Amino acid sequence: MKNYDVMVIGSGFAGMAAALFAAERGLSVAQTGATGGIDFSTGFIDLLAVHPIAEQKVWEDPFAALAALRRDLPDHPYCRVSDDEICRALEQFTTFLGHHGLCYRGRAGKNTLTLTAAGTMKPTYLLPCTAWNGVKAWEMKAPTLLVDFSGLKGLSARQIAEVRKDSWPNLKVARIKFPGMGGELYPEHMAWSMADPARRAELAQNVAPHIADAKYVGFPAVLGMTDTAAVLSHLEELLDRPVFEIPTLPPSIAGPRLRAAFDRGLPGLGVRTYTQKLITKAACSEEGFSFTAGSGSTSVDIFAKSAILASGRFFGKGLRSDRHRIFEAVFDLPVSQPKNRSLWHRPDFFDPNGHEVNQAGIETDANLRPLDAQGRVFHPRLHAAGAILAHQDWMRMKCGAGLAIATAYKAVASL
Amino acid sequence: MDFFSIGLVLACASAALGALWRMRGWFKRGVAMGRPGQDRPRPGVLGILGMLVGGLADLVLLRRTMRSPLRWTGHTLLILGFGPLIVLHAMDGVVTRPFFAGYEPTLDPWQFLRNLFGLLSVLGLTLLFLNRCMTLKKFSKLQDWTLIAVVFGILISGFLLESFKIMSAGDFKRMVDDYFVEAESEELISLKAYWARENGVRFRQFLPTAPELLELGAELHEDRCAGCHSPTSSAFVSRSMTSLVPASLYIADQGRDLFWYVHVGLAFLGLALLPWGKFFHPVATGINLLTRGGTRTADTPTHTLARGLGLDACTRCGQCSLHCSVAPAHRVLGNPDILPMDKLADLRCHLDDRLSPGRSAALVEGSHICTECLRCTQVCSAGIDLQDLWMASKKSLTEAGRAGVDGEIRKRTAGEWARELASRDLGRVGGTGAGLADRAESFWGCVQCTTCTGVCPVVAVSEDPSRDLDLAPQQIMNLLRMGLKAQTLGARMVWSCTTCYKCQEHCPQGVPVADILYELRQLGAEILRKKEGRS
Amino acid sequence: MTILTTRVLIIGAGVTGAGLLRDLALRGVQALLIEQRDVNSGASGGNHGLLHSGARYVASDVEAAVGCREEGDILRRLAPQCIEDTGGLFVAVRGDDEGYVSDFSALCVKSGVPCQGLELRTARAMEPALSENLIAAFAVQDGAVDPFMLSLDNIAQAMSLGCSMRRNLAAVSMEVTDGRVTLVRCRDITTGGEVLIETELVINASGAWAGRIAALAGAHINILYSMGSLIITQDRIATRVINRLRPPSDADILVPGGTVSILGTTSIRVPTPDGCRPSVAETDHIIDDARAMLPILGRTRYIRAYAGVRPLVSLGPAGDDRAVSRGFSLIDHASEGVENFMTITGGKLTTYRLMAEKAADLACAKLGVTAPCRTRKEPLPPSSMGKWTEPGRGPKSWVESRAEDDIVLCECEMVSRSVIDAIVDEAKDMRGRSMLKAIGMRSRVGKGPCQGGFCGPRITGHLYDREISTGTQGLAELKTFTERRWRGFSPILWGVPLMQADLQEALHCGAMDLEFGPAPSTRDEESENCPATAFKEPS
Repeated sequence: MKNYDVMVIGSGFAGMAAALFAAERGLSVAQTGATGGIDFSTGFIDLLAVHPIAEQKVWEDPFAALAALRRDLPDHPYCRVSDDEICRALEQFTTFLGHHGLCYRGRAGKNTLTLTAAGTMKPTYLLPCTAWNGVKAWEMKAPTLLVDFSGLKGLSARQIAEVRKDSWPNLKVARIKFPGMGGELYPEHMAWSMADPARRAELAQNVAPHIADAKYVGFPAVLGMTDTAAVLSHLEELLDRPVFEIPTLPPSIAGPRLRAAFDRGLPGLGVRTYTQKLITKAACSEEGFSFTAGSGSTSVDIFAKSAILASGRFFGKGLRSDRHRIFEAVFDLPVSQPKNRSLWHRPDFFDPNGHEVNQAGIETDANLRPLDAQGRVFHPRLHAAGAILAHQDWMRMKCGAGLAIATAYKAVASL
Repeated sequence: MDFFSIGLVLACASAALGALWRMRGWFKRGVAMGRPGQDRPRPGVLGILGMLVGGLADLVLLRRTMRSPLRWTGHTLLILGFGPLIVLHAMDGVVTRPFFAGYEPTLDPWQFLRNLFGLLSVLGLTLLFLNRCMTLKKFSKLQDWTLIAVVFGILISGFLLESFKIMSAGDFKRMVDDYFVEAESEELISLKAYWARENGVRFRQFLPTAPELLELGAELHEDRCAGCHSPTSSAFVSRSMTSLVPASLYIADQGRDLFWYVHVGLAFLGLALLPWGKFFHPVATGINLLTRGGTRTADTPTHTLARGLGLDACTRCGQCSLHCSVAPAHRVLGNPDILPMDKLADLRCHLDDRLSPGRSAALVEGSHICTECLRCTQVCSAGIDLQDLWMASKKSLTEAGRAGVDGEIRKRTAGEWARELASRDLGRVGGTGAGLADRAESFWGCVQCTTCTGVCPVVAVSEDPSRDLDLAPQQIMNLLRMGLKAQTLGARMVWSCTTCYKCQEHCPQGVPVADILYELRQLGAEILRKKEGRS
Repeated sequence: MTILTTRVLIIGAGVTGAGLLRDLALRGVQALLIEQRDVNSGASGGNHGLLHSGARYVASDVEAAVGCREEGDILRRLAPQCIEDTGGLFVAVRGDDEGYVSDFSALCVKSGVPCQGLELRTARAMEPALSENLIAAFAVQDGAVDPFMLSLDNIAQAMSLGCSMRRNLAAVSMEVTDGRVTLVRCRDITTGGEVLIETELVINASGAWAGRIAALAGAHINILYSMGSLIITQDRIATRVINRLRPPSDADILVPGGTVSILGTTSIRVPTPDGCRPSVAETDHIIDDARAMLPILGRTRYIRAYAGVRPLVSLGPAGDDRAVSRGFSLIDHASEGVENFMTITGGKLTTYRLMAEKAADLACAKLGVTAPCRTRKEPLPPSSMGKWTEPGRGPKSWVESRAEDDIVLCECEMVSRSVIDAIVDEAKDMRGRSMLKAIGMRSRVGKGPCQGGFCGPRITGHLYDREISTGTQGLAELKTFTERRWRGFSPILWGVPLMQADLQEALHCGAMDLEFGPAPSTRDEESENCPATAFKEPS
């Protein structure tokens, strides 16, 4: 039986952040998790942009939004973390990513609007540096060339240009052939192929005739997997223009990029990662937690003094459901939820109020420790972080990654 | 001309001509395999010396058989025993007699040695026989049992011949007639009594036991016989066997005659059969061991002659088949050509154009199931460069349009296969398949995230996946979910899959993508096999 | 403003209206079919897809039983491309009404409905998904029918004979002069413009909306609305139609639909035919009831639910003797003083051809046309309009004859870009509120496990690429399409579908912020939602 200080359950934003913070604090960390929500990430780190969601009020200042949210929604997990903790958490998280090839930037205390594959402008707090020139181009409404690739289903440059045409009239589009690939294109394979400078040169050659008087060039986010900065600067050199990326529809590579950075960086900090394994057995005692990860001949037994439950929601397998109820998958913790399934979803998908089921989740004390059915702390050294927490709707509030990272920070700090 | 001379001449002629015929086969089959490539490095002088030493070590010490103590012991005993028997006993006329003055077969050490070597041979052969019965029964053919039977026959009949000779009163009489002149009337009887008592001769007549007569007999023996006759007790095996014959039976002369013919006949038979199958292995295998220079890999340069020699050098020890990585496939499919030993034999027939179409199809299948893992080459007792043979034969079969299931499938497009198979009931794989591709539950979790396609290395290396592979992994899952199996079987993705399992490992929803792709391959292979008339 | 002239105006492009258009075309009568939304937008697009053997009605309605059997035979013979002749089973489980079971066989004989008793062992060998608690099993001649292909093929043949059809044209008022309808005013939903139609005869085939249309002419029909919900499984559970052998009730029937199975149904009175959608409570009720005969229904993955509204004509002042014959109503409003206005409504999908025949007979009598009905003998030719709704056709054509640069846009059902282009080219001028919706109606797009979550955005991109969508219109149509699919998606969201919905919302809202403007265009037409709470759980 392997013995650790902390077991982090989950390898999404919250799990990765918790493993990072715990390791940097000097604790011995084990982490389990499998492909899940983070693989569909846009790569953006949202902090908070919409509150109240029913009014669809968008905030430029996320901290002002936080103040309002804490006042209006006392059960929201953001009430358990201070602004200071949030800032430190984001700082530490993005520093780590920066060391492993993923640079992030943003404006302190301000949300930034950035382009999506649909052509909408999305407010977010921290963006991959590869997207930043797009922000500049948008804010200046500069003449810009948007490139897409025939065979890549996840991004239509013309769609973006059309949707934006009233507010950004100088968007031109060009569809070109991606070097070395034909037929149906898959972003992950495209991104890896960009590691070859010859391919990049060919790409630039294909793009160059379309640039004309564009000041910026935007691409679908396939510019490299682990070496995005190098790919981008090489392309900028070849095209003699600033270049930016726009996240594609799934299967996008934002998720794999994040995962690759963590897979490279966390073991270096001593984190023992049990990848592609879910917890199949969990038992608690005063001394700590005994877990079995995976099943069959490759299962592993792990003991940890503390545990952080960052297992995500339905797609992440942190929460399960049948026709009647929602369950928490590892410890069977009580899940705050609507009375019955007919209340889970509203009649309109895009209802500004969002769907009640998305606010279901684990309720905790001020230190993010889950509560049992009687409202007492389930276990003094069990914490929860991320999207599994109740009383938040990350998709409508635009607070997914930020909440995950901040609550992970708080959970580790409270260990 | 007597039996012996005729037999000898015929046997030698058969052996010699047959051996030449076999050697001719080495050239012929080597050529039929195609030109060997020049990609293997040529060894330098030191390398050649090393190979010489290695080859000798293999030949003399039977190094390649050492991994199996039973076989090594049996073989060593047999060689240690039978070799000298051939050279010193069977060929005593041209070897022992000229080099050792005063040689007589009935004299020690030759008499003793003959028995010793015979005993060693019998022990060794028994061990080999046990080994074949215990582990190799399913691989064994007529030639294997025949060789054992003939050698055993030679050995046992030899002992029996000697036993009967020992007991033979007729032989005694002949010896006496030729070499003994009786001076006094009791001399003969004393000698007889002595010989009856000391050397086990069976006389019908009653013989005295008085000590002074026995003494006289001993003196006479010392004087007249001992020069050519050591005590028969040194023929310890044959002599002990005489006690098996009841004293009341006086069959020694007949037995001697019978077993002389049996012994000599079997020996000639063995010699005449030298060129046949397993009988030739001491020649072919011996030469192959020398030329392979002790290497266990496929690194030595190959040439046409070496290939032909390799094909002939198989001792049918079965080690290759016992260690074959794809033996489970043989257990399921039953095709003997999946295993190296039979594949080698059939390859040999194939190169002679003597393979029936059914067997030929089995050979093609077996060739392509082989994963070239090198194990058989490493364990081959005869040191055959099997890896080279497999790779060359696969190449030449493919060039002749016989590329196995994988090649057959690719001869038509996915659409053509879909049309042909659409009307059939595409049952589940074999009966042994898990039927994952048929089970709805396999696909319940699929959320169309296309992660499986995104991580697939085969898709990654394809310039145009739809063109080269027909369908991406997640498209195959969708088709199966919709019950459209016929559309997937001919897709080249299925046949290019390396079963790296990345898709299955990364699927967030637990869809067993790789297992299902493999099942489709199984089903495709089964369908093709049925088309060829084999199942 | 546009003025159209036609001999006969048919209102309502459900299967009855489509059949009527074809029947009249074959008799040489020129007709125009108008439809406020799209083909099969009413009950014809929300039914079980069952070609009844008639066995279900042998106890309750012998005429219906006989009618189903006869019409089923005709359809099998004349429109085989729309029908999968699966055969059917009637099964009873422990606890079901044994009296009903024992009478069944004799009743079938009386109605002339072929029915054969089966050993339980045999039945379970034929359909391994059946429960172990069977007490009786019978084989019947049920089949599965694709109502979309049926309507589209009918319309296609009629159009090839000179008739025409207009979608997105809603009748808003009628001018009645001297006891005759002279003018029908319509609004073009796409453009908002007005269209006037001059006609000799109006046939009201608008199904559940028949009351409203009749009112435009000053006629009166009492219609009650009965909503029925159905749920669709991801895989095909049974080869044959499986019926519950008991007095007709909810959740009685499982019908194969190509690569899926359709389970239903319920029967709830609702106040309006508009905006009705299946509910969570109905879904659970259906599953809990049906799993007695097929236990796997309690565990399998469902991909969506849908609802259709059945019009029930109550006997009122209009139509006494003609009313409610063979389960359908053919009403000649001459009795109410409108001489050239008639209504045909009610009935079953299986008997649509007969309904069309009767209506056409009446129409021709009024017009003085003597040509006889030909639909009893004339085969229904398959059309290109209808072909992409067939399950499995998209993937088969992809594997067998893929064009070199073609790509798949709807992965679940493997509908390729070239197929979508073909559909778009045919429907281009009739997009209505959403080209995506139109594509969805004519193909399998959005009908697979992802329910449009992935293919919606991809096809939207393609429509922009082709310059069919401009400005934010494409996004509005995407939202319309998504909302439409949501109606069917939301009742079955537990287990894996909930993960799918999670992913869909993460994509649409979390990543693309689509919950902000532009607004989807479905709001105005369906402002009155059927209250889902009207459904009461059985005690």
